[in-house]
Amino acid sequence: MAAIRPVTRSRNPAQRVGTVVFAYAVLIFGAVIIVTPFLLSFATALKTPEQFSNTSTLSLPSPVTWQNFAELFGPEHNFISPIAVTVQMTVVILVVQLSCSILAAHAFARISFPGRDVIFWAYLATMMIPAVTTIVPLYGMFTAAGLRNTFWALVLPTMFGSPYAIFLLREYFRSVPDDLEAAARIDGCGTLRVLWYVVIPYSRPIIATLTVITVVSHWNNFLWPRVITSGPDWAVLTVATAGLQSQYNGNWTLVMAATSIALMPLIVIYLIFQRQIVNSISIGGFK
Amino acid sequence: MSRRSRTLRRAAVGYGLLAPSLIGIGLFLIVPVLVAVAVSFESWNIISPPKWLGPENYLSVLTDPDVWHSFLVTAQYTLLVIPTQTLLGLGLAVLLSKRLPGTPVFRVIFALPWICAPLTLGVVWKWVFAPTGGLLNAIIGTRIEWLTSFALALPAVSFVSVWTQTGYVALFYLAGLSGVPSDIQDAARVDGAGEIGVFWRITMPLLRPTTFFVLATSIISSFQVFDTVYAMTGGGPGAPGRTDVIAHRIFSLAFEDLDLGKASALSVVLMVGLIVVTVLQQVYFRRRITYEVAG
Repeated sequence: MAAIRPVTRSRNPAQRVGTVVFAYAVLIFGAVIIVTPFLLSFATALKTPEQFSNTSTLSLPSPVTWQNFAELFGPEHNFISPIAVTVQMTVVILVVQLSCSILAAHAFARISFPGRDVIFWAYLATMMIPAVTTIVPLYGMFTAAGLRNTFWALVLPTMFGSPYAIFLLREYFRSVPDDLEAAARIDGCGTLRVLWYVVIPYSRPIIATLTVITVVSHWNNFLWPRVITSGPDWAVLTVATAGLQSQYNGNWTLVMAATSIALMPLIVIYLIFQRQIVNSISIGGFK
Repeated sequence: MSRRSRTLRRAAVGYGLLAPSLIGIGLFLIVPVLVAVAVSFESWNIISPPKWLGPENYLSVLTDPDVWHSFLVTAQYTLLVIPTQTLLGLGLAVLLSKRLPGTPVFRVIFALPWICAPLTLGVVWKWVFAPTGGLLNAIIGTRIEWLTSFALALPAVSFVSVWTQTGYVALFYLAGLSGVPSDIQDAARVDGAGEIGVFWRITMPLLRPTTFFVLATSIISSFQVFDTVYAMTGGGPGAPGRTDVIAHRIFSLAFEDLDLGKASALSVVLMVGLIVVTVLQQVYFRRRITYEVAG
């Protein structure tokens, strides 16, 4: 990345200090607005309902109680289940979708065969289809197939490859040097081994980016799971949180415990891999 | 091996590699669109089999005041969200591009809402806006019913979208700013241009592709907003709901009114609209790039 020179460099020192103070004031103000709802919703989750209604919303929990979390994981709400379903769904989609996308991208990037470009453009065109348009027909199709409220309903629609992932991978695969592939071919590698030993190792950065994009977007998905599942068996975290919120409206300590649990895993992953993820956001521009 | 058999072999390998995605994208993206178009000409309530209707659903969509209301609400939401988040994002990017100590920490904080589920954030913000026990009323010492007020509900939902997306816009502008060559800016300064002049006359025009990309993608996603609205207001308050955006109208038509034909018709109208926006964006973008290469 090219270095950006400070816009203020030619001014006198007093003005420069003023600009720096102003910049920090704005950045800190913005950061406080971003962080406050996260921190105070977590603080609320650590209060008893009595504490919450008797003290100011802004006060910190004293004493800290894990009662809401215990209640959430207890037999009545059984929040273990939505966590398990969400993890399973995300892992299955990640592994299968990424594999299928890699196979397709390899075909598009490195093999020439009749019909290839037409199919690639058709894939690109499907990126313009809004999710709400496919929800109603998919609901009908899955109901007709008897797959409503099953694990398959959660994973099947996105499992076999994402046009967006295929697009990003293809761009990257095209940059793999032909010499590398030719050398592997001379050593007797077939297409799949070229893919496994040459193309994939070469393309680790884009695969890492796509892993982030896929995990985040499926962990956070709501509309399709909300439509195609009912009851507690296959409720994912977003669906379970929404259900709890509408059932226990006003019981904020319990609801904030649920949002804390739903948000925590991704936030932890985000903080661990912050640099890669922040970079992925500006590369992928994912939704 | 003959040339012909080599071509055949390559085709076999190519289609073999494409097979899973052809099945997936065909069956779960392309077929559903065809089904949506078919259902939009039918009367269907899921329970009894669909009946052919002709263009009636489209007439019903176009003459339904609630549908027009939803388009209006979505347009208002878009107008509240996009200019705000674009200007704020640009401003933050300029501050971040000064590379002051601590900048990486701010980048991480600003992008944080973007990786969180909009649905879950919507529930958190429903608490922030709650009339009793809510964070915002506690801070400013009031008991305002933000989300059930006809005047405040849409601005509140829009604020949450701006809060979620501004950091993301800022990251895009930050990447754009790093591509602006500093020698052009320096040349302008040598010629006596002030900092504000340099920014508006030099930097902003060079950032035009970024601005264009950010605006186009955020318009497309703002016309599909659903999770935030569902969590915070459920499309309300009032009837027709003050925050009843198009995606929420489709959801209600399909899964509350069980009028899947009309829901499909509206979803096809939305899809066609968004495709037109995308194609216009592509055409405009191509032309700009051609100008730049030619110039």
